[in-house]
Amino acid sequence: MSLKQNPYRLAPSDIHRHAQGARRHICRMNAHARSGHTGGDMSEADILATLYFRVLRYSTEPMRWHDQFILSKGHGVGGLYGCFAELGWLAESELQTYLRDGGRLPGHPVRQKLPELITVNTGGLGHGLPIASGLAMSKQRDGDDGRVFVLTGDGELEEGSNWEAMMAAAHYKLGNLVVIVDRNHLQLADFTRNIMDIDPLDKKLAAFGMEVHELDGNDTTALVSVIESLDCSNGKPKALIAHTIKGRGVSFMENQPAWHHKFPDEKELIQALEELADA
Amino acid sequence: MHEQADLRDGVMDTLIRLADTGTDVLVVVADSTSTSKIGAFQGKHPSRVINVGIAEQNMVGMAAGLALGGRVVFTANAAPFLVARANEQVKNDVCYSQTNVKMIGLNAGVTYGPLASTHHAIDDISIMSGFGNVQIFAPCDSVEAAQIVDYAAGMDGPVYIRLDNAKLPVLHGADYRFSPGHVDVIREGAELLVIALGSLVGEADAACDALAAEGIKPTLVNLSSLRPLDEPALLALLESHRAVLTVEEHSLHGGIGARVAVLLACNGIARAVRMLGIHEGEFAVYGTRAGIRKHYGLDAHGIAEAARHLIERD
Repeated sequence: MSLKQNPYRLAPSDIHRHAQGARRHICRMNAHARSGHTGGDMSEADILATLYFRVLRYSTEPMRWHDQFILSKGHGVGGLYGCFAELGWLAESELQTYLRDGGRLPGHPVRQKLPELITVNTGGLGHGLPIASGLAMSKQRDGDDGRVFVLTGDGELEEGSNWEAMMAAAHYKLGNLVVIVDRNHLQLADFTRNIMDIDPLDKKLAAFGMEVHELDGNDTTALVSVIESLDCSNGKPKALIAHTIKGRGVSFMENQPAWHHKFPDEKELIQALEELADA
Repeated sequence: MHEQADLRDGVMDTLIRLADTGTDVLVVVADSTSTSKIGAFQGKHPSRVINVGIAEQNMVGMAAGLALGGRVVFTANAAPFLVARANEQVKNDVCYSQTNVKMIGLNAGVTYGPLASTHHAIDDISIMSGFGNVQIFAPCDSVEAAQIVDYAAGMDGPVYIRLDNAKLPVLHGADYRFSPGHVDVIREGAELLVIALGSLVGEADAACDALAAEGIKPTLVNLSSLRPLDEPALLALLESHRAVLTVEEHSLHGGIGARVAVLLACNGIARAVRMLGIHEGEFAVYGTRAGIRKHYGLDAHGIAEAARHLIERD
């Protein structure tokens, strides 16, 4: 199995199907656990499915990563588990152990629990990007063409460590670093613009030396097209502002601040699964 | 008189040798090239020094990322900014994620003297001890510093090394071999056990010289390996002396005095104990380093005085 390509290389429509599957996993898992960050899990599903089913280059036997991914918005780990279930790396039955004592699925990524799948332990915000920069620099020093993708929340960009890292990434010309911002406009307590306005985000990122792209982060066609157009050897670190909808895919969750940390009850789960059913 | 040497020279000699002999070692600094005295290393291996600017959080985060790429990564900056500013990166990116990062805390304790409390690190041992897995070392001289760096580079996992910028007496011969956990007895004596940390081992040694002239011959321990620590060996020493004096340029909360007191209490051993360090309720006072040491009784004179009182009292 070649390490230099994605094992699936799915078409955008098939990636979308898996993203919807991941969303169904998320809803069932969070309903069962009676906890979870449902809104953010749902907004990132298309980004994660695009990375794992199309973009990231890795082999599964043995599990080895040519490109690497860090989930900086560690509270979105439910989305990652949902995606891993779609990949067949976690069984549906194991998802039922989410947040349970003695299980492998805590509420933030823990590499000691899933050593082959999780690069680093995140959860405190503003940590993924500095680590990803170091990893990107390491790959650059090795002269390999591996890339490092890191997914941040948009509220997370209020943490200053991200900006320290971007300054350094531009200074060290880490063209193989791709930051994807899950721009769902919501953070824990309210809309980002009401808590701490991070706009004009594109201009701020560009001013820090990032090559900025804006796209619909819930559209797998756009995700594939933009990511595959990136020139990771041009010495410019990339920032993708992926416009998403928090709670995407379920009408009553979409754009509702309360769904940051709410889980579906029995009735809501039935409706959510109906709305997320494959067409 | 012992020869005096800068601990950082020992550190840099080892790093140069490691890089020369094929270890993929990198040093990440936060505009701290002079603080770390990294010039000689940088001169020979310029591409192995990564300067992230005045950005300690990013220094530690990037170090963790570089370590995940399979390298041996040291960070080198002033201890106060490492343990305080980058505390969550130390916790999550290095300790909790178990990355292969070796953090050198330069100018720890009250090294920065008159630059005052923003620049003092009197809490580093306490803070690092709270992260359960990071190994913690405080070398007392350049020979030991060099060997600790060599050991740290060869093992996989997080390490904190408490350093100083002063020239300190070289108490170890060239034949000294550091081993992790080892309780290093500098002088063998009786009755009184003096346990000192890092840069104060030299002061304690000078105090022992003064006491010897009066017929008091304490045992002096250099507690350079705080995690791991050979607790049975330390307990045996505690049991075989009737009084204990701990000496540290650190808060009395969570330093070596507290560690010794807990060890005694948990093993039901009653001994007269005196702990010298930065008092309850205070930041370290502002002043020259000698002045600060004098204020807290941490200079050779103060240590000897405390020893006399302890012996007489008991």
